[in-house]
Amino acid sequence: MSHAPTGLPFARTDVLADGTAVVTIGGSWTLDSTLPPIVVKGDRVKVVADELTAFDSSLPAWLYANFKNIRQLDLAALPARLQSLVQMAEKASFTDTHAHDTGFLEHFGTWGVESGSSWGRAFEHIGHTTLGFLRMLVGRAKINWSDFKLELQTAGVDALPIVALLGFLTGLIMAYVGLIQLRLVGATVYVANLVSLAMTREMGALMTGIIACGRTSTAYASQLGSMNVSQETDALRALGINPIEYLAVPRILAVTLMVPLLAVFATFIGVFGGMVVACAGDLSIEQYLTQAVRAITFKSFLVGVIKSVAFGFIAAWAGCYRGSVAKRSALGVGEAATSAAVLGITFIVISDAFFAVIFNLFDL
Amino acid sequence: MNSTDILTCSDLAIGHGSHVIMDRLNLSLPAGKILAIVGPSGCGKSTLMRALGGLDEPLGGTTTLMGVDLNSADGLRRQDILRQTGFLFQGSALFSSLTLRENIEMPMREFLKAPRKEIRQLAEYKLALVGLADAMDKLPSEISGGMAKRAGIARAMALDPAVIFLDEPSAGLDPVSSGRLDELILRLREAFGTTVVLVSHEIPSILRTADFCVYLDPDTGTMAAYGPPKSFLQAGQPPKVHAFFSQARFD
Repeated sequence: MSHAPTGLPFARTDVLADGTAVVTIGGSWTLDSTLPPIVVKGDRVKVVADELTAFDSSLPAWLYANFKNIRQLDLAALPARLQSLVQMAEKASFTDTHAHDTGFLEHFGTWGVESGSSWGRAFEHIGHTTLGFLRMLVGRAKINWSDFKLELQTAGVDALPIVALLGFLTGLIMAYVGLIQLRLVGATVYVANLVSLAMTREMGALMTGIIACGRTSTAYASQLGSMNVSQETDALRALGINPIEYLAVPRILAVTLMVPLLAVFATFIGVFGGMVVACAGDLSIEQYLTQAVRAITFKSFLVGVIKSVAFGFIAAWAGCYRGSVAKRSALGVGEAATSAAVLGITFIVISDAFFAVIFNLFDL
Repeated sequence: MNSTDILTCSDLAIGHGSHVIMDRLNLSLPAGKILAIVGPSGCGKSTLMRALGGLDEPLGGTTTLMGVDLNSADGLRRQDILRQTGFLFQGSALFSSLTLRENIEMPMREFLKAPRKEIRQLAEYKLALVGLADAMDKLPSEISGGMAKRAGIARAMALDPAVIFLDEPSAGLDPVSSGRLDELILRLREAFGTTVVLVSHEIPSILRTADFCVYLDPDTGTMAAYGPPKSFLQAGQPPKVHAFFSQARFD
């Protein structure tokens, strides 16, 4: 039972001889006021409002929250307009929709099932993408070729400045670190071998793949995620067009073609970056270039190109996949972009390790 | 303008960019009344509602809401007035990453000093009013268009606004929900004196709820009639208005 001075909202409970709880409400009930707590026992309640001075929707909300489960609720003594507002809400069903508490095991189980189905969806998407490529090769796929041309530009040509900058700095850093160590054994001339071999076999492809993840994957995840939100992908399905073929295949194809070219570009820029440091130190340009040309073999060049094709595919696929399964909300699109970059980079590094083992086995 | 008028416009011109789609619009609405804006599709009903509600600047003329000229009012005053209004947009405009309950709680948390528990019970009540007591913890992507519409109405009512603007509130609702919505609008007006401005094509619903109706004529680029909706069914109205109401009622 609670009481408050006139003006503030209050509720008082009296129990009659027959067990009926009479709740007297009064004062001024506004959205900003602190509403009185009430505990009512029994299943017969009568509400009276003799001392009520003013109210807004806070009062019907309070009545609804506290008395919705009372079996015999008598609101007849309330003003008609207040009664009607409570009754309007009561017309809805009162199923308790509060989430039940879940234990650790249930959480763990749910996580396991969701992770499993997420991997399942990923493999399904890879399968559909592969099918899309095969259908494209036999000329049966509906491909948005205007997207393909646009993506050659945005994923390829537009990425040249950032690829050049990062490639140059990578070569420069490697040469700087290498020079310090090689100077200890008097073999500074081999810094050219170090930089050119590392850029050709490894860093050119890896850096370009990571740039593609940060730049292109996230863009694709956002684009396709937004299309998911606005049901554009549903509209494509309704038109009998496979969204993976129409949207994902041209993007993946464009990036898979452009990343190797960018990787080769990054390799040369990186070798140049190394040359700047090497020549500022102990080597002449001629020495550096002679050593670099000796170090770069066709095999190592091929290794770099094969890797960059795979990295390009992974970066574009990660973006398209995460975009296509994005939740239909602004938050979902953001999450898709983030997870596309994470998924792409993780897969690129894993596949790089895988390539190292394979190439070692085949003596490449 | 009468002292009891909560909303007025005089010589109002509305449009997109610099393109005028309606002009010479003059109307005034007393507090606690329900105004319906009707007309053929694409005639500028929603644009007029947005201008009346202060969301868009008109291309000419003036609008006043609660006695304040929204176009000349400073930012804070304008914000203060807008806080006393509620809007339901055509696409519901629910925040997609929040549950329905959180969508309703959001303006309450921003503007009310009430404790969390009370905000929660207020939100649950508003959702129950529109028949969504069972869907409080769902995301907008998990509900139907009609349910999203009703959740949008609950959010528009969150702060007990003095004026509610509803853009096609019954579009996508089944006849029972549509009838419930009419009842809700009438009860809100009765209980709190809420003024309602709605855009609708549902003539039976307009005849049931609205006190005033404005018909926008795209051919002349201005309003063809303004008055009680039932009068639009009577002889003496512009033929276009009479035909629109009679045909829609027949449908």
